[in-house]
Amino acid sequence: MTAEKKELGPEMVVCRDVQKWYGDFHVLKGIDVTVREGEVIVILGPSGSGKSTFIRCINRLEEHQQGQIIVDGTELTHDIRNIQEIRREVGMVFQQFNLFPHLTVLDNVTLAPINVRKWSREKAEEVAMRWLDRVGIPEQAAKFPGQLSGGQQQRVAIARALAMEPKILLFDEPTSALDPEMIKEVLDVMRDLAKQGYTIMAVTHEMGFAQSVADRVLFFDDGVIVEENTPAKFFTDPEEERTKLFLSQILNH
Amino acid sequence: MESNSTISKLISRLFDIRVLGIIAQVIGAIVVALTVSWFVGNVAGNLEALGEAQFICEDGSFSYRCAYDFMDSAAQFDVAETSFGMDYKNSDSYWRAIIVAAVNTIRITIYGCILTTLLGTLVGIARLSKNWLIANLSKWYVDIFRNTPLVLQLVFIYFSFFLALPSIKEAAASSNYVFLSNRGLNFPSLVPTVSFGVWAIFIAIGLILALVIWVVLGRREEKLGGTTNRALWAPAALTVPLIIGWFVASASSAGNQVMLVNDASGITGLENIPQVIAERFSVDVSELGGIRALADAGDIDQKTYKDSRLNVCAEKDSLEAANIDSELRALNLPYTIKRVKDADKAFKDFSDGKCDILVAEKGFIESEQLTLADTLTSSIVAIPESPIRLSLASLEGLNFAGGGKMTPEFAAILIALVLNTGANVGEVVRAGIQAVSKGQSEAARAIGLTESQRLRLIVLPQALRVIIPPLTSNYLNLAKNSTLAQIVAFPDFWTIMFTTVNQSGRAIQGMLLTMIFYLSLSLIISAFLNWYNTKVKLVER
Repeated sequence: MTAEKKELGPEMVVCRDVQKWYGDFHVLKGIDVTVREGEVIVILGPSGSGKSTFIRCINRLEEHQQGQIIVDGTELTHDIRNIQEIRREVGMVFQQFNLFPHLTVLDNVTLAPINVRKWSREKAEEVAMRWLDRVGIPEQAAKFPGQLSGGQQQRVAIARALAMEPKILLFDEPTSALDPEMIKEVLDVMRDLAKQGYTIMAVTHEMGFAQSVADRVLFFDDGVIVEENTPAKFFTDPEEERTKLFLSQILNH
Repeated sequence: MESNSTISKLISRLFDIRVLGIIAQVIGAIVVALTVSWFVGNVAGNLEALGEAQFICEDGSFSYRCAYDFMDSAAQFDVAETSFGMDYKNSDSYWRAIIVAAVNTIRITIYGCILTTLLGTLVGIARLSKNWLIANLSKWYVDIFRNTPLVLQLVFIYFSFFLALPSIKEAAASSNYVFLSNRGLNFPSLVPTVSFGVWAIFIAIGLILALVIWVVLGRREEKLGGTTNRALWAPAALTVPLIIGWFVASASSAGNQVMLVNDASGITGLENIPQVIAERFSVDVSELGGIRALADAGDIDQKTYKDSRLNVCAEKDSLEAANIDSELRALNLPYTIKRVKDADKAFKDFSDGKCDILVAEKGFIESEQLTLADTLTSSIVAIPESPIRLSLASLEGLNFAGGGKMTPEFAAILIALVLNTGANVGEVVRAGIQAVSKGQSEAARAIGLTESQRLRLIVLPQALRVIIPPLTSNYLNLAKNSTLAQIVAFPDFWTIMFTTVNQSGRAIQGMLLTMIFYLSLSLIISAFLNWYNTKVKLVER
């Protein structure tokens, strides 16, 4: 329902026939997706289906071997300048947080704005504090990541990605490494961002999040997109047999 | 029943881990005490056996306090080479000999640690390279040098490489600037002259200026953002004073350098030397450059050549010799600098008429010229000087003169230590880099850092924490393994102490000094690295 209401902007991510192999193993067998500005896409699928690999291709943490990926009008090629430009505009949040343990929380967040965007420290810190405030942990700014709980660390990681003012946010199973009681605090932040109109692509197992926030759900299996649907239809009236099997497995455990 | 329960209580008390801990400590303390007392008793017994002669004092009495008095007497052995221009002659005391040797060891350790760090870092990174050739070359290097004894490597490098090199004559014929022969490596060096002091002030000003600009622009970047190109401005701020200083120092150097000219030669200054020499060879000034080749080819008789070329007398390795050498080289004419042990000897050669020109310190020439008045008419002529002169090694007589020099012994022990320790450090660096999780690099890339920023800001700071503790052990190994210098007869601390002990018969005193020296060296190295380690340590919950 949300999908109809939303005014969608221009194309932010365009993938055409994206293919990738790990040695002989064909991970991505031709992915075609277009994501428009302001859209929230949730990617579901069993483990090993290639959904994480796909999302990591979008900022070139993994290299695709065939097809085209165009992010905000720039095509991902081997040109390092294109890669850098795309990485500047794409924020990413990882399953394992990957905060820099030798830097304080504040330095984690200001590192890229200062070194990549070349902002002054003053401006970077002001922006960083605003984001830390937004994710609810401004009082932790002077601490080191090792001193925070998992949920707090993941929120710092979100603030770190947001501080670069990215046009697209990628989430790679952001809640999978968290204790149950901390999942909610991270999901709340993500919901808030979705409402703000951020373009989001999220790989997650949080069905509640997918149902309430997503504009579209992509269901991956064995390297292809098996079903692409609105969450309302996806969860209640899926088109594909494979989807029904998947849903029955995760909803009835 | 009653007694039974007491015993079982006692036994269970005995198995209490707190009690067990105390028992273990008591046993440990007893073992240590016994060992120490055994050692002390052993040393005391040995001292007793050696007799009072070991502790003879100046006044003929005997006391433990005089254990080291023998060190004040003349060593009467030679030390083959000294470091940093230190003086030593065999009439110096044992103290002087071991101080010179200690400095030799310190030189090996400092050079060794620096070169090992460079090599190890390079190899560690190379082993992780995706380039097949680079990765495998470094893997083989590490495997070979980690799995063979250091002694073997040292002996191989010294006997099979350095001693198998060509002779001095062959080396001199095959190259112009760098000579590798079985007598070591001779290479060009820079010699600071008198006016270097003036230039040094400008260098200091330039460095301060560059630093200030670097810091100020850095603050500006922090405050206002953007980039200020400080990596360009700071070197520029250093270069300008360097250039100005060079000319100021050269101008201020007037009169620093003089030469004493034998008036009979007809030379009145640097300007007319080419004419004088050209007349001697009966050729045009423009042809002077080719004379040497003619002499080598036999077209000019060797004796005529040697008499007719410009002969200069100077003290070996003096800055005056380097200075005149630079000036004469620019004139492109046949000349030789007869370099002798000291200025007195050079002056004697000059007064005997063996050379046209004498160079030495100004004061020396001025005072010595007076003694010449009866035998030889001479005049003092000023010659230019620049703050630094390039000194080239050249074959004179049976050895090279001028330039810098590294003996085969020093080179062999240094290279062996660096290659061996470098292999270990390479593994330490590799482990350190691999200890930083892949996720760190991914996060760094994902926020848009460039590859060099990723290494500098994320990977290296974290890798250093893992690298430093084992790196410290490797530095300590290098310092202590330098005692293997004895095998190639390089006079390091251990070699000279060994000779001292043999010659004086004072084994215990010698061993004690050796322990103190290497212990201090090791403690200084560890203290420095521990300090650095606490700086890069990680804060955790």
